[in-house]
Amino acid sequence: MRKISVSLVVLFVVLLAVSFPACNRAAPGTNKPKVALVLKTLNHPFFVDMRRGAQEAADRLGVQLDVQAAEREIDVEKQMQIVENMIQTGIGALAITPSGSREIISALVKARDAKVPIIVVDTRLDPKAAADAGVHAETFVGSDNYEGGKLAGGYLVKATNGKARVAILEGIPGHETGDSRLRGFREAVSSAPAITIVASQPANWERDQGFNVFQNMLQAHPDIDAVFAASDLMALGAIEAIAAAGKTGKIRVVGFDALDDAKKAIAAGTMEASVAQFPSEMGKIAVESAVKAMHGEKLPPDIVVNLAMVTKDSLSRP
Amino acid sequence: MTASRRLAHARQLGTVLGLVVLSGVLWAMTPHFLTVPNLLNVAQQTSINAIVAIGMTFVIISGGIDLSVGSIVALSGVVLGLALQNRVLLPFALALGLGTGLACGLANGALVSWGRLPPFIVTLGTMSIARGAALVATEGRPISGFDPAFRSFATGHVAGIPSPIVATIVMYAIAHIVLTRTTFGRYVYAIGGNEEATRLSGVSVRLHKTMIYAVSGLVSAVAAVILTARLNSAQPIAGMMYELDAIAATVIGGTSLMGGEGTLAGTLVGALIMGVLRNGLNLLGVSSFLQQIVIGAVIIFAVLVDTVLKRHRT
Repeated sequence: MRKISVSLVVLFVVLLAVSFPACNRAAPGTNKPKVALVLKTLNHPFFVDMRRGAQEAADRLGVQLDVQAAEREIDVEKQMQIVENMIQTGIGALAITPSGSREIISALVKARDAKVPIIVVDTRLDPKAAADAGVHAETFVGSDNYEGGKLAGGYLVKATNGKARVAILEGIPGHETGDSRLRGFREAVSSAPAITIVASQPANWERDQGFNVFQNMLQAHPDIDAVFAASDLMALGAIEAIAAAGKTGKIRVVGFDALDDAKKAIAAGTMEASVAQFPSEMGKIAVESAVKAMHGEKLPPDIVVNLAMVTKDSLSRP
Repeated sequence: MTASRRLAHARQLGTVLGLVVLSGVLWAMTPHFLTVPNLLNVAQQTSINAIVAIGMTFVIISGGIDLSVGSIVALSGVVLGLALQNRVLLPFALALGLGTGLACGLANGALVSWGRLPPFIVTLGTMSIARGAALVATEGRPISGFDPAFRSFATGHVAGIPSPIVATIVMYAIAHIVLTRTTFGRYVYAIGGNEEATRLSGVSVRLHKTMIYAVSGLVSAVAAVILTARLNSAQPIAGMMYELDAIAATVIGGTSLMGGEGTLAGTLVGALIMGVLRNGLNLLGVSSFLQQIVIGAVIIFAVLVDTVLKRHRT
C-alpha cells in the first residue's frame, strides 16, 4: 500500500516538473524591472486587447510584464489574492483594473506598504474609501464612461429625431463603470421629452443574459424602438433576440466597447452604433505610466483615453 | 477496522506528502514562495475555503452533498452587512449573520431528512434561493464601509498571527473534537457508512442529518464574517463556486464521496494544497486559464490515488 502511494507521489512530482517549466513564462536570470498588470478577467475581448497593448509597450520599454486575472470578472476576492501574491514577487509597479472600486482597496493598502506605485486603469477607485485607507494611485488611465454614455444617448436622440421608446440593458448593478455609462445616457436622453425609457434591467455584462433579458423585454413591450446596452456583449445578445423575434432592422441597437463582433454587426446593419473605447491604448499608457512611476516621475491624476462613436458611416471611412 | 484505519493513515500521508512535494517544487522554482509574508498570505487566502470545507466534510462523510454553501456565505454576509449598516451592535449583528447561516443549514437538513429529498436537489434549490434572497435584500449592490472593530476579524492579529488563520485553527480544533470524540461525530460516520443500519440501531438519523447540514450552514456563515471583513464589503455575488472549492478540498483530503470515511485533517491539507497551488501559479506568472487546468488535474489525481488504494485493499 505504501509502495503505491509513494509511486503515485513520484508520478505527481514528474507531472509537476513537466508542467511547470512549460507554464513558467518568466525567464529566469532576467533582471528587467517587473510591472504587474492585474485585469478583471481574460475571457473578455476588451481585456485581451488591453493586454496586447500593454505587452507591446512593455517590449518596447524593455520591462518584464506579468499579466494576471481572476477567472471571473466579478471575483474581487480572487483579484485581491493575486495582488497579494504578486507583491511578494518584488514587482516594481502595479497596474490594475479593479473588480470592485471599494473592495480592492484592502489589497492596495498592501501594495502601498510595500512601496509599489499603483496605476488604476479603466475602473476608478471609490475616492472616499481610497482616501480613508490612505491609498494613493499615481494616476488613473481610462475613458470617461459618463461621457461615453452621454455620447450614446446624444447619438440616439439625433438618430430618432428625439422620439423613441427605449430599453436599457444594464451591467452588474453597483459597478462604477456601468453606473456611469447609464447616468450619462439618461442625462443625454432626458433632453428629449419624447424619448421614454420603457424598461431598464441588468444583464450582468453577459451575452446570453442580454439575449434572455431583451427577449423578455420585447414580450412586455413589443413597441420598443431602440435599445442601449451598457456593453457590446449584451448588445450582441439583444441582436439575437431581435432576430429571433423577426424584428431585425426595426430596432436600433446601440452598444458600448466597439468589439470586433459589434463592428461586424454594425457593418452588416444588424446593429446601429457602438461607443468605441481603446483598451489597447489604455494598456499601453498603463505600462508607460507604470515605468514612469517606477522612475519616480510625477504623473497627472487623470490620463483620459478618448472615446469615439462607431457607426456604419465611420466604418466605411478609411 | 484496523485495516481501514491503516488505509486512512496511508491516504493522509499521501496527501501530506503531496503538499510537501508541491511546496518543495515551488521553493525550487521561485525564491518568493518560501518567505514568511508569502506563507502568511497563503494561509489567509486558504482560510475561507478551509472553513467552508469543514461543513462540507461533515456532509460528505454522512453521504450527502451541500451545494448551497457559497450562496449561504453571500446571504449571511449580506444580513451581517445590513445589520452593521443599520448600526446594530456588533455582537447582535454577528448573531444575525451566523443565525442566517444556521437557519439555511437547518432548512437544508429538514428538507433532506423529513422531506426525504436527495441532498443534491435540496441544496441546488437553496443555492438559488439564498443567492436570490441576497440579491433582493441588497438590490444587487454591495454594502461596504464597516468600522475597524469589525474589520479586525480579517485584518487583526492574535498573538502576532493574522486573525483569519487563528479562526481557522480554532474551528478545525473544535470540529475535529466534535467529529472524533462525540456521539454526534460517530453518527456522522455511521449514517454515511450505512444509513439503514444506523436507523435500525435506534439512532434518530433524521435529527442527526439535520444537525449535519446545520453545521455546514453555520460554518459557512463564519466564513462569511471573515470574507465580509476582508473585502470591507458584503457582496450579494460573493461566494460563487465556493461549493466546488470546498468539495475539491474535501475530496483531495481523502474524504470519500460515497460517505463513511474522511478526516478533517485531510480536508485542511486539501484546502492548503489548493491554496498553495493557486499562490504558486500566481508567483510563477502562470495564466489564469492554465491555472484552471492544473487545479482540475490535481483534483482528478487525488481521487485517482484514493481509488487505486481502495482497489488494493480488497
